[in-house]
Amino acid sequence: MSKSYRDGLPLSAREFIDQLLRFRRGSISRRHFLGVTGLGVATAVLASELGLRPMPAYAAGELGDRLSIATWPNYHDPQTFIDFTTNTGVAVEVNVFGSNEEMLAKLQAGASGWSLFVPTNYTISTYRQLDLIDALDVSKLPNYDAAAQNKRFTAEGEVNGVLCAVPKNWGTTGFAVNTAKLTKPMTSWKDFFDTAMTTGSGRSMVHDYQLTTIGNALKYYGYSFNSLKPDELAKAEELLLKVKPHLFAISSDYQPAMRSGDAWLTMCWTNDGAQLHRDIPAIDYVLGKEGGEIWTDFYAIPKDAPNKAAAYALLNYLMDPKVAVKEHIANGAPSTDARVNALLPKDLLDNPILYPAADLLAPLEFGAAATLTDPARAELMARFKSA
Amino acid sequence: MSSAARKRLVTALLLAPAAVWLFLFLVLPFIAIVVFSLGERAPAGGYQPALTLAQYANLPARAAAFWNTLVLAPAGALACLLIAYPVAYYLAIKVLPQRRLLLVALIIIPFWTSLLIRTYAWMYILGGRGIPAFLELVGLPDVRLINTPGAVLLGIVYGYLPLMILPIYISLERLDRRLLEASADLGATPFSTFFSVTLRLSLPGMMTGFSLVLILLLGEYLIPTLLGGGKVFFIGNALVDLFLQSRNWPFGSAIAVALVGIAVVLLLAANRITARLSGARQVDLL
Amino acid sequence: MAGQQTLDIEFRGVSKRYGDVTAVHPTDFAVPKGAFIALLGPSGCGKTTCLRMIGGFEQPSSGQVLIGGADMADVPPYRRPVNMVFQHYALFPHFDVSANVAYGLRQVRPRLTSSEIARRTADALAMVQLAGFGARKVHELSGGQQQRVALARALVNRPSVLLLDEPLAALDKKLRTDMQIELQNLQRELGITFVLVTHDQEEALSMSDVVCVMNGGRIVQLGAPDEIYDRPADRFVAAFVGKTNFLDGTVLANANGAARLRLSNGMEVSARVSGDVSAGADVAVSLRPEALRLGAPAGGTGLSGIIRNRIFLGSTAEYAIEVPLLGTLLATADHSAAQSDLLRPGDPVAISFNPGAPLAFPASDNKTRQRESSHVQIVS
Repeated sequence: MSKSYRDGLPLSAREFIDQLLRFRRGSISRRHFLGVTGLGVATAVLASELGLRPMPAYAAGELGDRLSIATWPNYHDPQTFIDFTTNTGVAVEVNVFGSNEEMLAKLQAGASGWSLFVPTNYTISTYRQLDLIDALDVSKLPNYDAAAQNKRFTAEGEVNGVLCAVPKNWGTTGFAVNTAKLTKPMTSWKDFFDTAMTTGSGRSMVHDYQLTTIGNALKYYGYSFNSLKPDELAKAEELLLKVKPHLFAISSDYQPAMRSGDAWLTMCWTNDGAQLHRDIPAIDYVLGKEGGEIWTDFYAIPKDAPNKAAAYALLNYLMDPKVAVKEHIANGAPSTDARVNALLPKDLLDNPILYPAADLLAPLEFGAAATLTDPARAELMARFKSA
Repeated sequence: MSSAARKRLVTALLLAPAAVWLFLFLVLPFIAIVVFSLGERAPAGGYQPALTLAQYANLPARAAAFWNTLVLAPAGALACLLIAYPVAYYLAIKVLPQRRLLLVALIIIPFWTSLLIRTYAWMYILGGRGIPAFLELVGLPDVRLINTPGAVLLGIVYGYLPLMILPIYISLERLDRRLLEASADLGATPFSTFFSVTLRLSLPGMMTGFSLVLILLLGEYLIPTLLGGGKVFFIGNALVDLFLQSRNWPFGSAIAVALVGIAVVLLLAANRITARLSGARQVDLL
Repeated sequence: MAGQQTLDIEFRGVSKRYGDVTAVHPTDFAVPKGAFIALLGPSGCGKTTCLRMIGGFEQPSSGQVLIGGADMADVPPYRRPVNMVFQHYALFPHFDVSANVAYGLRQVRPRLTSSEIARRTADALAMVQLAGFGARKVHELSGGQQQRVALARALVNRPSVLLLDEPLAALDKKLRTDMQIELQNLQRELGITFVLVTHDQEEALSMSDVVCVMNGGRIVQLGAPDEIYDRPADRFVAAFVGKTNFLDGTVLANANGAARLRLSNGMEVSARVSGDVSAGADVAVSLRPEALRLGAPAGGTGLSGIIRNRIFLGSTAEYAIEVPLLGTLLATADHSAAQSDLLRPGDPVAISFNPGAPLAFPASDNKTRQRESSHVQIVS
């Protein structure tokens, strides 16, 4: 008999180590984890104090010894930051967020401590308008090539002709479904919400993020993803309140629950969908045929960034196609950069999760700036959560 | 200088550092919160000056969160109390003195680890790879424990139990054993002694623990988020959302002020009850 | 010997061990109804343990404790017909004076009516002269008042035996003397048995009818106060109860307790001797300070010495007198102001005493003559 004593265990030693490693690189989005323990920065700083740090390519002190970046769960190849630290001596502290609103709130409150962050396309004009981000000095970003960018995805990086943000990747918002548990094929947001209230009851998740949660509920009725019309929002709220008792959780951090089998159905971003499907083939990524969101995430530098020199250094490093390609392979999101696409392995380029068919992409909408600051949508989300 | 004046001066000097601290880090921020609560939300979020009670008028919009908090926080504190009391009683009265230190240390040691990390541990224990996986092995598939009110209550009791055990333990440990003997000597059964002496005299400890846990629970948001899946909504979660998602600082401030009001009322009530039941007296500092 | 039914408390072979430590060796002991008995001894002698075994707070390791003739083996404290006044009183801090006193009454089943409770509480407070103090908080009372509340609380249920554990230890001297008299009066009025535990020999001698001296977990002597003082059973009792001088001596002859001794300075004296001693044995000779008479120095064979120190006590004075070859002796002399009879340090002095005054004990009394058990019975 080849059956191992481990077979019956809920979590194998290997899986446990995996989880631990994911914890370490913040991919479980335990955004408090490093902050609370202070482990990330502390170890890096300690290493530099002890002289354990490899020789940097930059002169000592030029870039400081640490930099903090605000980004999304499961979004980077941890090796990217390790390599950057090796090259520059700058330790990178990663903060992970679940919504653009949260990032905005932190920056508005001041003293976020971030030198670099990853806002989504529709928020950049607001940041600029509130004077929270710097215009980028392209001379410090020799690796950035505007000509190589696909303008369909990157236009919102410029506000009134000023470049304020450079793209990381684009993506879509669909849903992930564990087909081993929910066998009926699903193709639409109608399927999503109806399943959540029936066979997927207690096992479904929506984002803790007004744009997508309200937007996808609007799509259920065929309204615009960005609608601000009170009657349409009222319908969306009604649907959300109806589905709430059936939800497993309201969270933008759905990978752990999907992986552990606690959740079977969740709103999902491209990159998470790709990662989940890669590791657990039974988990499919579906775009609602009614439409939904298409988005681009950018890198931007906050006005009050404590270490702008290091921010430019890291940003330029990330714009290097050879570095970027590893980021895409790791996070599973499609690129806006022709130079990167040229380097990507064929299986990624052929992956329909990353690069969906044109007819599925056609109805998707970019988020609208107004949704970010609209009090009605904010309050609707709050009512839904506190109901 | 008269001795009374000197006594007052010494008292004032002893209290000064705490007073300055409290003023800088409690009173001033609280004033800021009150000012915010009378303002309006700026168009892009945040605060803009105004003088309106509109935010307070809007408090019923968070009625569900207030209700959840005012039910689950006292329920959690009560559950803590009911579980903590026998433990504290055992530690203070029943355990051999030479073992007591070890057992008290075992209760305190988990405090050396962040509550957050310990709560994550519960996420794994209650999650699909934890207890439900074992239940599946014995033929109970698809049991869900995580993200339920029960899980939140469990997390609350787990997280706050030591805060409840210690004050009760201390009050029971200080309890004069001769009072128990005196009670028995006067004809009281152990049952009656427990209720008329032990319980009454440990009331200050119980109230300290209860108030401490209740106050912390009123502001709790981490455990409902992590073990309740963001669905079991406390007023603390409403606050976090208002400041971190909808960026409605004035409304968030109004809720914070209301929460402080509730906490003060509950504390005063608890103090009164304790003072009345235990015959506690005030002691001069000097 | 008194009959069984008139005994309030009886120990039959009672012992108490804590692990390897024996607190009380097997002891037989009986207290008749209505007696005022004091358990006297140094700390750790087992007296409090005995009291707590009567109260039911400790269980004997062997033997039986009987109260009113009934075996108390399985009777918990709250079912015993005894009440205790605790050291430091153990008043309930969360109750007022009335509630403290009424506590025992509230435990009575079937329940007493509240008017009955109120009446008996008021009576008890009046008995200890605290009428009108019922609404006071315990912490508002003085030590003496707290003592009275403790007494009222213990007596309100009309126990057949009242146990008092060092009840006066926390009071100042004047108050202590007042309370001693009050306790004696109360005991006579109520006619119930009082068992007093104390380490204070004066207290024991002045208050009780019977003193039970304990040492090392054993009863060493039981008797009336004067008997304990005048005829101590052994060297320990002589030393512990009252002040005394010990002199070394050797037995020359012993006839039924009337002995002839030679002291270490060669002087020969008559003495009563306790225990089995024959000629040639070494003894310790006890001479009470007040048995010594001081006079003007004279020649001859009498004792003489030089005053080294004087402690003036008002009606008496204590002198430390250095006597060649015997050491320093303590003597107490009456003082009358009219005669200006005080001696001064440096004065030479002659010392005399009645022939019956010296008491002799085997020199190694406490170390070797360990009895297996102490068996004493008081006859009332």
